[in-house]
Amino acid sequence: MATAEEIAEAYADWQERCNANTRLARMLRGWERTVHLVATDTGEGFTIAVSASVLSDLRSGLVDQPDLVVSATSEDFADLFWGDLNPSEKYLSGEIVLAGSSEDVMRLDAMSMVAFLDQ
Amino acid sequence: MSTGAAGLRRAMGLRTAVSTSTGLAFAALQYLAAAGLVAYVAGDSAWISIGVAGVLALLAWGFFGELNGMFPTAAAIRRYMSGAMDDRVALSITFTYLSTIVLVVAADAFIVSAALTHVLHVPGWLTSVWTLALLSIAVLSNLRGVRAAGWLQDVATTVVLAATLVVSVVALTRSGTGLHTPLQPLHHHSGAGFLESIALGIFLYSAFEWVTTNAEEVRDPKHIHRAMLIAVGILFVVCATMTTAMSHVLTHAQLGTPYPQLALGGRAFGTVGVWFMAAVTAVTALNTFNGGFITASRFVYATAREGSLPPILARLNDRAVPWVPVIGLGVVSFVVSVVVEVVGGSGWQVLVAVGAALEALIYAVAAFCVLRLRGRVPDHHRPFRVPLVRVVAIGGLVIFSVLAVVASVSVGNRFDPVPLIIILVMGAASALYTVRVVPGLQAAEAARRAARPTRRRPPRAPDGDATPPSPGVVS
Repeated sequence: MATAEEIAEAYADWQERCNANTRLARMLRGWERTVHLVATDTGEGFTIAVSASVLSDLRSGLVDQPDLVVSATSEDFADLFWGDLNPSEKYLSGEIVLAGSSEDVMRLDAMSMVAFLDQ
Repeated sequence: MSTGAAGLRRAMGLRTAVSTSTGLAFAALQYLAAAGLVAYVAGDSAWISIGVAGVLALLAWGFFGELNGMFPTAAAIRRYMSGAMDDRVALSITFTYLSTIVLVVAADAFIVSAALTHVLHVPGWLTSVWTLALLSIAVLSNLRGVRAAGWLQDVATTVVLAATLVVSVVALTRSGTGLHTPLQPLHHHSGAGFLESIALGIFLYSAFEWVTTNAEEVRDPKHIHRAMLIAVGILFVVCATMTTAMSHVLTHAQLGTPYPQLALGGRAFGTVGVWFMAAVTAVTALNTFNGGFITASRFVYATAREGSLPPILARLNDRAVPWVPVIGLGVVSFVVSVVVEVVGGSGWQVLVAVGAALEALIYAVAAFCVLRLRGRVPDHHRPFRVPLVRVVAIGGLVIFSVLAVVASVSVGNRFDPVPLIIILVMGAASALYTVRVVPGLQAAEAARRAARPTRRRPPRAPDGDATPPSPGVVS
């Protein structure tokens, strides 16, 4: 089980990678979304906003109306942001649950892939 | 704690779920399947075969309803199939099933092009040019991330269904004669022919279950279940009316063309009706191309990300679109449609037979999965449960298996093993790929991950406590 601080630390690393990636900036052009993260084991919620191709800081709690909701264990969130797990694999196995349009899901997956695989 | 899809800013309502389910099923190929169905039964009573097929589609609705309720995700097919059978078998079946999308896209491109050639009175070779143009537009739109908005899909589906219904009713009423044998499906036809017509009738409902891939974006999870049921009802009314009209007012020569719907339009409204139905046919392609390209390319992408397909298929362009699967789907569809055109005659009837057999096969697989998962995960949450599951699922498994076999050895109204051979070749290729290639891909992916630098995640303290907190969460 990962704490909120661990998740925040992992997210800060991911945020930095994403915001520094010029290719990802092009991919996120025009994609303004609010994403809720729900840790199924701790019950904690977090909010991320993407605006002008930039990822916001992680906010505690479920703020605003979301475009996408991602539910997973706190440990999986931390691993995901550190780039230690393949979100597609977890999604196909049902360990990561999503609510949102397929287009938004694709963008989110693209973020995790491009940020770590330097595709 | 989860806000779920209900709280989403953009959630899909029941109306769009219904139009998605109906629109995916009602492709241009449906006009040809309806005309082909008439060849098996006694003209005006073709609606009975469609009704029986509709009842069987309700069985499939029950199976997909239970499975979608258990796994309300776009990846449901992977979840329930790998849960019910060996993963290699599941992958082989899934790849084979996916090929129906290629067939439907190819067939629609060909049918729209053939209709265009017919109404413009231009040389037949231009059909391939229209096909290339249509598929190029579809590929380019997909690569640019363009997709039909929900409201546009609602409008397109409503226009196609309403237009088909109106044209059919007007053509029937203007025929000036009453129905000859509306209640005698075996008049001048055999029982085997009736069975074949039911197999073909199943195809008229095919793909209504693809709406389950939208499970993550509906406002209420029950919408998917309800939408499929409503779609089956709508499809029955439209297809039964259209088939009855076709059998009543069209000649055998007209029924044998790749554009019987144009002749139907002509019988209803003259030349205007021909052009009108040509336009309606083009609109059907919007749903097929939109749904087909997105469903197939995203599935291929997810499977490649999982490590079961080559990594190149997971490459994204700057609009986060998996460009290799999109281009691949366009190229394969074009090749198939050209082959259909070159073969001529029964080429498109073979496509219909392959599609009908594969659809019956996947319904049989769904019945098997329902039954198997009841035994393997009896306590899994099931918002909808198939009643009398042993009887219904085993019955469904047998019926759909028989229909799959019947559909695969019949083209037109004669015995022809070509569809079966095509399916066996596709199935064998999928199985060979899954057994011989996938393990290598997965091993390479595992090796690639193992070779990566150590985990970026800082090591935990021995007592399992978190590492010292860092830049914090903004409250």
